[in-house]
Amino acid sequence: MLLVPCPNCGPRNSADLRYFGESHERPNPASASPHEWRSYLYLEDNPADWLKESWFCRSGCRRYFTLERHTGTNEFRSPPMPGNKVGGKA
Amino acid sequence: MTRRLPAQAGEVINRSTPLSFKWDGGNLSAFEGDTIASALLANDKRIVSRSMKYHRPRGYLTADFWDPNGFVQVGDDPNVRSGHRLVENGMTIDPQNVWPSLDYDMKAANGLVGRFLTAGFYYKTFIKPQAMWPVYEKVLARFAPGGTVDLDTPHGYHDKRYAHPDVVVAGGGPAGMAAAISAASLGARVMLVEHEHALGGHLRWGNAEDRRLLDELRGKVEGAGVEILTNSTVTGRYEDNWTAIVQRSHPIAVERLIKARAKVLVVAPGLIERPYVFTGNDKPGVMLSGAVRRLINMYAVKPGERAVVFTGNADGDAAIVDLERVGVTVARVVDARQGENIVVAKGGAKALDSVELSDGSVIEADLLVTAVGWTAPTSLLNMAGDRPVYHAGSARFYPSAEIHNVLATGGIAGDGDADQLLAHAEATGRLAANRAAAVAHRVQDLTARALPVQGPEPTWPEDDRQSLPRDSHPALFRSTTHGIVDYSEDVDSKDLVAAAKEGYDSVELLKRYTTATMGPSQGKLETVNTVAVLAEARGETIQEVGTTVWRPPYAPITLGALGGRVFEPVRVSSIQSWHEANGATPILAGAWVRPDHYGDPAAEVTNTRTNVGIIDVTPLGKLDLQGPDVPKLLNHLYTNKWSQLPVGSVRYGIMCAEDGVVLDDGVTGRLSDNRYLMTTTSSGAATIWEWAENWLQTEHPDWQVHVTPVTSGFTSINVAGPKSRALVSRLVDNVDLGPDAFDYMQVRSGTVAGVPNCFMWRIGFTGELSFELHVPSGHGLHVWTALLEMGNDLGVKPFGLEAQRIMRLEKGHFIVGQDTDGLTKAPSLGMNGLIKLDKDDFAGKPELAWAMEQSLPSLVAIQTTDPAEVPTEASQIVRAGTNEILGRITSSRMSPTLDRSICLGQVLPEAAPAGTELTIVMIDGRRITARVMEHQAHFDPEGQRLRG
Amino acid sequence: MGVLQKSKPARYSAVGLVRRGLRGDTWPRVWREVPLKKSYDVVIIGGGVHGLATAYYLATNHGITDVAVLDKAYLGSGGSGRNTAIVRSNYLTPEGVAFYDRSLQLYKTMAADLNMNVMFSERGHMTLAHTDGALRTMHWRAEVNKLQNINSSVIDPAEVKKLAPSLDTSSHPRYPILGALYHPPGGTIRHDAVVWGYARGADARGVEMHQKTEVLDITVEGGSGPDGKGPGGTVTGVRTSKGDISAPIVVNCTAGWATLISDMAGVRLPISTRPLQAAVTEPVKVFLPTVVVSGSLHVYVSQTDRGELVFGASVDPFNNYSVRGSLDFTEELASHVLELMPGISRMRLLRQWAGLCDMTPDYSPVMGFTPVQGFLCDVGWGTYGFKAGPVSGEQMAYCIATNETPELISAFNLSRFAAGELVGEKGAAAVGH
Repeated sequence: MLLVPCPNCGPRNSADLRYFGESHERPNPASASPHEWRSYLYLEDNPADWLKESWFCRSGCRRYFTLERHTGTNEFRSPPMPGNKVGGKA
Repeated sequence: MTRRLPAQAGEVINRSTPLSFKWDGGNLSAFEGDTIASALLANDKRIVSRSMKYHRPRGYLTADFWDPNGFVQVGDDPNVRSGHRLVENGMTIDPQNVWPSLDYDMKAANGLVGRFLTAGFYYKTFIKPQAMWPVYEKVLARFAPGGTVDLDTPHGYHDKRYAHPDVVVAGGGPAGMAAAISAASLGARVMLVEHEHALGGHLRWGNAEDRRLLDELRGKVEGAGVEILTNSTVTGRYEDNWTAIVQRSHPIAVERLIKARAKVLVVAPGLIERPYVFTGNDKPGVMLSGAVRRLINMYAVKPGERAVVFTGNADGDAAIVDLERVGVTVARVVDARQGENIVVAKGGAKALDSVELSDGSVIEADLLVTAVGWTAPTSLLNMAGDRPVYHAGSARFYPSAEIHNVLATGGIAGDGDADQLLAHAEATGRLAANRAAAVAHRVQDLTARALPVQGPEPTWPEDDRQSLPRDSHPALFRSTTHGIVDYSEDVDSKDLVAAAKEGYDSVELLKRYTTATMGPSQGKLETVNTVAVLAEARGETIQEVGTTVWRPPYAPITLGALGGRVFEPVRVSSIQSWHEANGATPILAGAWVRPDHYGDPAAEVTNTRTNVGIIDVTPLGKLDLQGPDVPKLLNHLYTNKWSQLPVGSVRYGIMCAEDGVVLDDGVTGRLSDNRYLMTTTSSGAATIWEWAENWLQTEHPDWQVHVTPVTSGFTSINVAGPKSRALVSRLVDNVDLGPDAFDYMQVRSGTVAGVPNCFMWRIGFTGELSFELHVPSGHGLHVWTALLEMGNDLGVKPFGLEAQRIMRLEKGHFIVGQDTDGLTKAPSLGMNGLIKLDKDDFAGKPELAWAMEQSLPSLVAIQTTDPAEVPTEASQIVRAGTNEILGRITSSRMSPTLDRSICLGQVLPEAAPAGTELTIVMIDGRRITARVMEHQAHFDPEGQRLRG
Repeated sequence: MGVLQKSKPARYSAVGLVRRGLRGDTWPRVWREVPLKKSYDVVIIGGGVHGLATAYYLATNHGITDVAVLDKAYLGSGGSGRNTAIVRSNYLTPEGVAFYDRSLQLYKTMAADLNMNVMFSERGHMTLAHTDGALRTMHWRAEVNKLQNINSSVIDPAEVKKLAPSLDTSSHPRYPILGALYHPPGGTIRHDAVVWGYARGADARGVEMHQKTEVLDITVEGGSGPDGKGPGGTVTGVRTSKGDISAPIVVNCTAGWATLISDMAGVRLPISTRPLQAAVTEPVKVFLPTVVVSGSLHVYVSQTDRGELVFGASVDPFNNYSVRGSLDFTEELASHVLELMPGISRMRLLRQWAGLCDMTPDYSPVMGFTPVQGFLCDVGWGTYGFKAGPVSGEQMAYCIATNETPELISAFNLSRFAAGELVGEKGAAAVGH
């Protein structure tokens, strides 16, 4: 069970939070073209890299916040988490 | 117990407590402390199972948890590891995978055709005729290995525990004990987890010096304040050291899962002895050195009479000493370090009688002991991201990665004398304790709500442990002959070579094609030999071939332990006890249990339409909204306008997601200037709460709104029917309920049946004159019973969900999620007046604007030509004479009020105009006709009743 | 198109087994190992069932054999070897039903077509309903299925019990079984054998399989994005860990890495990658004759001929490119399975694993042409890619060979998202294995 560093509650089991995925800027609904609006709705960067994403601390402070996580290692960059780093020696 | 030796110095059996048990139908005896394996061998039962494919007789190879030949059925417990499970008095134990009996197995005939049943043979045959494969398949399934599940097995008591130790030590051998002692001495909270029934690891079957060291370490660890779990296994290491421990030794639970968030995990599982590959290596009587030493020293069982010992290391040498001490004739020592080798184990199917050596000599023996080296069980390290690396000089794999919070010690880390190993383990324990302290500091520091941390963060303790030496060991994987590599899968080295030549020549392909390493021991014994045979076939080194990834769990864990106690909570209203006492038939609706009906839903409808009915609608989602900017939020969430809602009024609205798809609907009332009460669908309550918060926190943090869920804070009762005003007015005295004073779509607060702070609003899903009462939940039951008592002469009766569903369908009210689906956009609902595109912004606005221009499917009321035909919900509407789908029935019921079938359906635009004749395909295949109605309401389309 | 390199495969049969068994001969390689060439007519990225089937049908149906299938690991190392090997065609929409039904037909005759026993076990597929809403959805699927002559119907708890006596059909559980969608033609198949069978068949017709060959970049000219990539561009080839290849057609048949490969061509996708976990128990004597699925409990289970129970669930709750398993998955799985089959609490979980799934917003794939000329996609297969393998290969091959989108996959084009015309499988989205 991944520990997610809630800025208010500290590291918490990921089951305590709800994942909202990539943070996308909402286009201006008054002027957005269908292409822009549907890019916002459907397209994803989905990198195998650092990803800025939204979480909701459902069982804790009930705040939405964004965190940077590496989608390959599950490491959080801001704030950093203790341990859980793998580095090859041999 | 014909093979029981006199008392041995280190024996773990209690001779003063004899036990009796049943094996394969016969009665046998044992002592307390015996494993099933030691008890069977003490009784000279040398054959314990039949192999999976060829049904060869098999005896004990390792006589411990990992023995691939030792699976038995104990009562209703299949696949019990007899090398590990202790005998209990009266136990019934049976062999598995035998037919008709262990001694005489019909399927052993497979062995005769073995050379045609090479690994993967089934891919090449049973191809034609195709129709025959199911027949073959049934036959093959008969050969499935494993025990039998009794489907009436009770769930049993299981429990789970959460732990937050500083250090978990996986493995209670000398290294694990030493690491635990030193970590605890620095103040760390330590859990020491040992797979076997007692601490000690290999010291338990060692010599006098080993036993002395064991006593010393055990004394220290027991005095160190360490939590010791025996007969327990660390089965998995997951992210952030979420550590799974299965405890088989719990006094009550059958098996208990402990979930420990270890700040540091120390991995000290020791080493697993590897079998040797040669012809005849699966004959009963071929054993590994560890098996022989465990049997002699721990269980006082004589494993044979005349032995050949093939040794490449000190453990093999020690086995010779043990064998000779208990009177086994060691007919020949074959020393691999001198270049000597064994070639073939000979004998009949059921027993070994001689061993052929590489020098051509044949030595008579009933026991062949091999000591050819080790497999490092690096599973827990693999799960933390480590990839083991092969070291040719010592002929085994080692961990390679430096993982900050997972530290290895003991045999998997290297060799050395006892002092070196203990020093490494102690250093590991210190490092673990110090790193755990640094982690604890960081976690506390990251938690804004926690107590402030004292002092600066400790510098991360560096790993300054002195590496352990690696003793040289001859590379002993396969002799010059072929033999079994995977005992539980019956895969032989010849199979592996053939498969590699066919192109299945990477370790993963080979594994998948031959099933080697896929059996119950999951490669603990087989992986390295598989890799070695593949390397040989490819002409590569073992390192070049690499190894497979060991996946969790380290040791199998029961579904019962993983599932824990059955714990699936449901929600009920404060009136539930009354419903149960009054014959309500329950229905599960999401997380809620609520009354479906009280016996006769049609009668409930008629009574409500004629007199007055009450329904418990507590599951309705309720959000209390407060603050000056509530109208902005409502304008954003709903598609219609909310800026001008007067105090005391209620309005209906539809919510859409950003893609224009209908998300929820409900009413919101303005209770006072800055306070509103929103209702949502029962299933949407949690979603809409989070949806509202999302907008407030991310897009519009400047809006001042507090959202508080009050779904179960209020018990909600809808009083519906022509006599509802008469009934409610008997319970309410400070609110004027007159039609002019309290109009349709209005809200009032007041006292109901003596309960203050209740809200009442004049709305109703049923289409009748209705008062919906929201009562503080502590008084819900009181108000409910008061309504029934006070309304007795008015004919008040409760009604359930089914009656409500009938009545709402009579009125043509849709249900989000039933009459809409995951693609239904708001304009399909026929309520375009509620979509206000002149608002600046609201959720889903652009999509709705575009959708309004399109022709979308419509929700329409439908009536069948034959009033008695009620199409099942989801019946399809097709173009007459074809199978082309034009829509579907989303809701249907027999209406007691209209005495005919009524429906709602979603249809394509061409079929939506009123009067269109439709063809409905009934689920029995008949086609009936129906007609699209003018109004969505089948009953009282003008709404006179509810305004009354 | 390229020179047809025919190598005659040794036919698999019981007679062949006996003959070789007697002589002690080994069989020839399932597919050849050849050096990578500088150019191909078609490069297929991803050596799973989709990529291999595409190659096989290009060669067999269209005579296009100058084809390289590239895989960064070994054939079948991705989703093809990690799924729970369930096949069925009882989808919700007419498009879905037609498409998967074709796949099922191809699976049915596959053993003979590929001369490899893929062990298709037509054991029936049952999707349980625990709520009246779920039962309504089952009826919806059944009714759509029947209109397209798919054998599919809703059965009552007594019939469920008869088909799978291990299920608790009493009324007391938290999730009572109210009925099930029963689909007799559904079943299981040996997934690895499908991969090997297609590879062997493609190899016999001249297609090259290149394992341990990682695609590092896709070269595109004339596009609107950086480096000439993106919409309006034309594919010229791929750069790999074993050298550069020029090719007019590059097909993305990956799962898990679909976004990363498409990014190389400058094509953005509506995909987020989630691990899907699965687990297997120790073998016991066979007691579960059908495939059982529960959408509400997010679990599906079948028993192999070897006696193991194979379980799957829903995808993990957040995006991830790692295939490590989690404990919470096994805990939830076990509690849900025991809810359905209370009698198996003493069975032991032997192994858990994960595969990567590319999830799209409408639970339907992205197939066919993209805004980059010559760059095609067969991606976004979510949790149902394996069962679609054969038909996807057949249709993609048609697409490549004719430069036209076949009717069967027209609903799955990438352009549907910009048009806001999502596929209706979203209509009743649930776990649908």
